[in-house]
Amino acid sequence: MTDLLEVRDLTKTFGGLSAVKNLSFCVSEGETVGLIGPNGAGKTTIFNLIMNEFRPDSGEIFFKGEAISRYPTHERVKLGIARTYQVPRPFSEMTVGENIRVGMLPDNLWKMVTEETEEALEIEIGRSVGFDDHQIAQQPSELAMGDLRRLELARTLAIQPSLLLLDEVFAGLTLGEIDQISELLVERKKYGLTYVMVSHDLRSMAPLVDRVIAVSFGEIITEGTFDEVVNNKIVQEAYLGQ
Amino acid sequence: MGQIIIQGFLLSGLYALIAVGFTMIFSVGRVLNLAYGVYIMLGGYVYFVAVQMMSLPKVPSFLFAALAGVIFGLLTYQLLVKRLQSDPIAVEIATLILAVVMQAAIIVIFSPSPRSMWPLVPGVIYVYDVAVLKNILLATVVSWVVLGGLMVFVRKTHTGRAIRAVSMDPKGAVISGIDPQRINLITWGLSGALGAIAGVFFATYTQLDPGMWVFPLITAVAVVIVGGIGSIVGSLIAAHIIGFMETITTTLIAAELRGVFTMLLIIFVLVVAPKGLFGKAEL
Amino acid sequence: MCLLPLVVSTGTLRIFIFANFLAIFAMSWDILSGRTGYISFGHPFLIGIAGYTTAMLTYHLGWPLYTTIPIAVVATMIGGTLFFLPALRTRGTYFALVTLAFMEVMYHSMQVVQPKLTGGTRGLSGLPTLVSGAIPNYYLSFLVMFAIGVGLWLLIRTRLGIALDAIRMDEDAVRSSGLNTTRLKLFAFMVSAMVAGIGGALYIHYLGSIAPRGIFEINFLFTILVAALLGGAGSIVGPIIGAFFLTFLLELLRPYIPGAARYLIYGVIALVLYYYAPKGIYSFVELLRIRLTGLSQAKKND
Repeated sequence: MTDLLEVRDLTKTFGGLSAVKNLSFCVSEGETVGLIGPNGAGKTTIFNLIMNEFRPDSGEIFFKGEAISRYPTHERVKLGIARTYQVPRPFSEMTVGENIRVGMLPDNLWKMVTEETEEALEIEIGRSVGFDDHQIAQQPSELAMGDLRRLELARTLAIQPSLLLLDEVFAGLTLGEIDQISELLVERKKYGLTYVMVSHDLRSMAPLVDRVIAVSFGEIITEGTFDEVVNNKIVQEAYLGQ
Repeated sequence: MGQIIIQGFLLSGLYALIAVGFTMIFSVGRVLNLAYGVYIMLGGYVYFVAVQMMSLPKVPSFLFAALAGVIFGLLTYQLLVKRLQSDPIAVEIATLILAVVMQAAIIVIFSPSPRSMWPLVPGVIYVYDVAVLKNILLATVVSWVVLGGLMVFVRKTHTGRAIRAVSMDPKGAVISGIDPQRINLITWGLSGALGAIAGVFFATYTQLDPGMWVFPLITAVAVVIVGGIGSIVGSLIAAHIIGFMETITTTLIAAELRGVFTMLLIIFVLVVAPKGLFGKAEL
Repeated sequence: MCLLPLVVSTGTLRIFIFANFLAIFAMSWDILSGRTGYISFGHPFLIGIAGYTTAMLTYHLGWPLYTTIPIAVVATMIGGTLFFLPALRTRGTYFALVTLAFMEVMYHSMQVVQPKLTGGTRGLSGLPTLVSGAIPNYYLSFLVMFAIGVGLWLLIRTRLGIALDAIRMDEDAVRSSGLNTTRLKLFAFMVSAMVAGIGGALYIHYLGSIAPRGIFEINFLFTILVAALLGGAGSIVGPIIGAFFLTFLLELLRPYIPGAARYLIYGVIALVLYYYAPKGIYSFVELLRIRLTGLSQAKKND
């Protein structure tokens, strides 16, 4: 299997604090990876670095073999990486359908002006995450947290990414909502979606990931299958130390 | 030549004061106060009225001007900004309209013509054989003293540290028990005071004019863009670059072109180094 | 609207002409600032470029209007881009101030730089007009305003409109959706500059003169902004409504307020209106429409 994503020796300090220190890992195509660690371990920072929300102090990021460290965010997204946010950020003055529509937009002025919206596709994407026709016309302010997360997913899936970064996608959800999202991810996984998932909810994460990476204080402590990592003494100490 | 160096240095001190008063609100409240220039204008006009029209003594008049700034700052926040805070664009627009209103008010009260203000301290002092207006020297000294006082305030006092906390992490500050409303009020009042103080000197340096609120605003923005956000050292250095280059331009070329260099510098920095000289984040 | 000249006096017609031009400027402002949220205080600057270009070319070189006006429009787009492009790369907050700086500096520079060409403080007068008389000017300004309105409306209906609106709501999220926001903003800016250029060039030739005061002025900026905001920023119709509303409001108040206090009163009214209705008149209209169609929907379902 080819490496879809490779992160090499990534370092990022904020003020005097090392958020990420010489971090390296790979993700293969079709793989699903869990990223765990106590608060402040650097997990979200890793996502931010991959997406260019920050520039690393040193290190390189490779995607599909290309060195993308100099690329602006939208270029990285066009190559095929997308992320969801810990706190959902829908476009507040647009309906669910319109939100998805933004994800579907081509980065091409001419096409945007001349081509019609593919409403059928938009509705299909909405349905694929479980929205019914009534909800598609609703505003984000009318939606519950679980629906907002589904909207995030719908928007990111509309981009048709090869790699999806999921940041605490289960936070704040009811058990029923968690099941819904899990089902969705399992289904997508079958279609070959690669994702890296950050979550504190280890139980929900377990069936969704092939491999787990544990980080603490900006460094990788260990990698392995879910059971291996979760039962690892050092990992348990890192969590208990919280 | 010496004239230029010394004048430039002195002007920079004043500009640094102006810039700090402006960025304070931006760091703490995350909104742009386009009416900031009005504090400067108010400071100048209030002092003018007190000293030249009512013949009051200088020091109380000066304090009175500062007080006017504080009051106006507080009122701006309480009546206008507080409700619109959640939408930064709305704050920008509302404060701009306010500035236009104040300009119109000044025109109604005072007439549109510019007025000269007497210097706070008349006369000239010789520094290294260069004639320097005592007034400008006083302006610089006061500016540095105020800035120094501000530094101490922000580092050593409880309120000062609270202000820093809110500017670094608003949500965290709330969790730590800091009342953001109170901090905002204090910041706006402080910004008003700083602006007014700078305004008294600025008015003596140039002229009193109903449109005088625009230029300091631009200067403050230039200092922030050139120096970079989040860096006080950067702001100080930028203030000096701008102060010097302006002095050179107005002395050697033409007085009206005062802002042109600043504008070109802004463009240059935005194209070549968008983070500014010492910026920690992109604008 | 087409039959208007038959019903009103020349004086009133001239008010309508002004309203038409204000509507053009307000739409120009809105397509950039109302839509993307990048508040520009530099529209007088753009209008000034157009006005001065066409004024200087006709005054000094005697070139015909059908040449100078297009040149002026192109000059506005190029000149505007040169200055504004670096500013567009900043976040919206500083963009506003940088544009304000341009305008201020232009005001001072135009008085001093090459006064022989620009006419200095007094400007240039005696410029040729496109058509003469109130009625033809009315039809011309109305036609242009209408054409621009339709053109912009068609543009915004496309997916481009959604992209620009999204930038206003959350620019980072737009980037995370794989769109080059700088290019989008630049496009919006160029459309805005083009419209401002057309309006500016035509306006100068309606007035027959140009001077720094009145163009590079805060009051002019203020009028454009308030027209767009009061009417309803972020829509096409909003700025048009706002322009007419504002023009007639000002005309109504004019006899009651002495010259000096005029802008004070206008400003206070604008401030109060904006404070209580930041979304403008158009939003009320929309709300009404939704309520009414909601009612009719309910009736259908019964």
